[in-house]
Amino acid sequence: MHRGKGMKFVGDSRVPVNRKPNIPKDYSEYPGKTEAFWPNFLLKEWLVGSVFLIGYLILTVAHPSPLERQADPTDTGYIPLPDWYFLFLYQLLKYEFASGPYNVIGAIIIPGLAFGALLLAPFLDKGPERRPFKRPLPTAFMLLALASMIFLTWESVVNHDWEAAKAQGEIREEAQFDTEAEGYKIYSEASCIGCHGNAFEGGLGPSLATTDKTAEEIMEIAKNGVGTMPAGTFKGTDEELKELATFIDELTP
Amino acid sequence: MLNKIYDWVDERLDITPIWRDIADHEVPEHVNPAHHFSAFVYCFGGLTFFITVIQILSGMFLTMYYTPDIENAWKSVYYLQNEVAFGEIVRGMHHWGASLVIVMIFLHTLRVFFTGSYKKPRELNWVVGVLILGVMLGLGFTGYLLPWDMKALFATKVGIEIAASVPFVGGAIKTLLAGDETILGAQTLTRFFAIHVFFLPAALLGLLAAHFIMIRKQGISGPL
Amino acid sequence: MSNNRVSRRQFLNYTLTGVGGFMAAGMLMPMVRFAIDPVLQKAGGGDFVPTDKKVADITDVPERVDFAFEQVDAWYTSEVTSTAWVYKNGDKIIALSPVCKHLGCTVNWAGSPDHPDQFFCPCHAGRYEKNGNNVKGTPPLGPLDEFEVREKDGLLQIGKTRPNTLV
Repeated sequence: MHRGKGMKFVGDSRVPVNRKPNIPKDYSEYPGKTEAFWPNFLLKEWLVGSVFLIGYLILTVAHPSPLERQADPTDTGYIPLPDWYFLFLYQLLKYEFASGPYNVIGAIIIPGLAFGALLLAPFLDKGPERRPFKRPLPTAFMLLALASMIFLTWESVVNHDWEAAKAQGEIREEAQFDTEAEGYKIYSEASCIGCHGNAFEGGLGPSLATTDKTAEEIMEIAKNGVGTMPAGTFKGTDEELKELATFIDELTP
Repeated sequence: MLNKIYDWVDERLDITPIWRDIADHEVPEHVNPAHHFSAFVYCFGGLTFFITVIQILSGMFLTMYYTPDIENAWKSVYYLQNEVAFGEIVRGMHHWGASLVIVMIFLHTLRVFFTGSYKKPRELNWVVGVLILGVMLGLGFTGYLLPWDMKALFATKVGIEIAASVPFVGGAIKTLLAGDETILGAQTLTRFFAIHVFFLPAALLGLLAAHFIMIRKQGISGPL
Repeated sequence: MSNNRVSRRQFLNYTLTGVGGFMAAGMLMPMVRFAIDPVLQKAGGGDFVPTDKKVADITDVPERVDFAFEQVDAWYTSEVTSTAWVYKNGDKIIALSPVCKHLGCTVNWAGSPDHPDQFFCPCHAGRYEKNGNNVKGTPPLGPLDEFEVREKDGLLQIGKTRPNTLV
């Protein structure tokens, strides 16, 4: 290559006049089964990518992404759940040694140590050995961390009431009603409102806005309970109960 | 014709060396699934990058309809998913991609760990990689709030409470993230939007560039 | 001549760093202050919400007090209604949050005929003692939260919640 004095440039720029030929390196430069990145290897990578993309698109079409109802900060009955890859952390905080007064252990110290160890792995495991079996400690720690993450995620999944969560998050139609009505006053003063929501949209209990039960059935349930709703929740008089049941029965979405 | 254009640009900018530098480097046999099927574990990094590209693109398009405002965020997401042609697919790609990218980056991390590829001289690239993992988790956390539905709001409440439990500065971190000492509302959503769309992606692009330059410089780690 | 005199190149490097630092600071200072504003904002004095409950009327039996306040969230203002269970412990006024520590239902004083001296949550039969302490063996994991209280013109004012201090 020509360098220094006598070098010629394009115009007054610093781009050399002599073009370098745009040809790939000689293939003898890749001995054995080694191959060039472009286009040989990249083609294989993109083939893998294409198969992956097909699966990915099928997934998005087959499972539309979930959208729950609009956030309502006043609905304190909602049981929160983070995205699946944070579940193990969420589960960790449920154990006694990592909650309440020890919350800082579960929330900060354990995840902090784990992430810190991961970040500094090359400086903790400095030996020249690369095979997993020749460096038992790092391998063991990683497997342990992996096993506990899988275990915690699993525990979190089986302990979550998915059906209740689905019902809690459902996009619901809100009932139109008069908050000054006698029925609503009874509703809000009794304990009903705690579980069935300010606007009958439900919460811990099901939505009352779209219930197809008759007034008689509602009175029956208020007295004797149904499912997880205990008996004797309604404490008012029978006239109030009748008024309330009729009011709920007449709710229209 | 194309050749003429290439020559015209090359004459002025001398792009051949740059382009040949990207194209002509050797890929060893032990990472090539065509030779050993078990080498497919070396694909996870590339797939992570592929999903990242999809995430950036789908995210850019989603902001054409999305509004980061507590009264309209949910409505705009509902609208783009149900009323806009292919809205379900574009949001689906962003939603599922967010999960897949975590899966892939996780598998990639495990591959690098168990092949001991982070050892000298590749320590720095491992550190940058773990930082990328952190940024990805941050993107997942901030993006989860944006649809402003029930699970978004309450999961973020939990997340912010966790951040608030940091000794001494927890309260300040909480306020800094949520934009208010007690309320998780309008200011939280705009903050998370800014972090999700501008701050973290900027950090991600910088880290990715460093990651790739280092791989290119040092080459792929040798066979076990 | 001293050995460590600053060479011309060093001097230029220092100056460059200085000027660069100035430019970075000049750019970022307003932005950073802008971003951390919520942390530095002083909580306003108007944190207490007036109720129409006369302090003189409060007895040692917990009583339900409803109150409403305007919650200002930056550019959104919304009316939030809340409830407290208020009673006197000696001379001290106690206001407990009615939010059950189990799943956030609303507890009632003497809500169960079997336990007339306890708070009762109808959802899963959680119970709390009068001071808010959760009865062991029932679902809740912690005591009821407490509101800060004060008196103004003979009327009760309710402030922020804080973890129970009575237990």
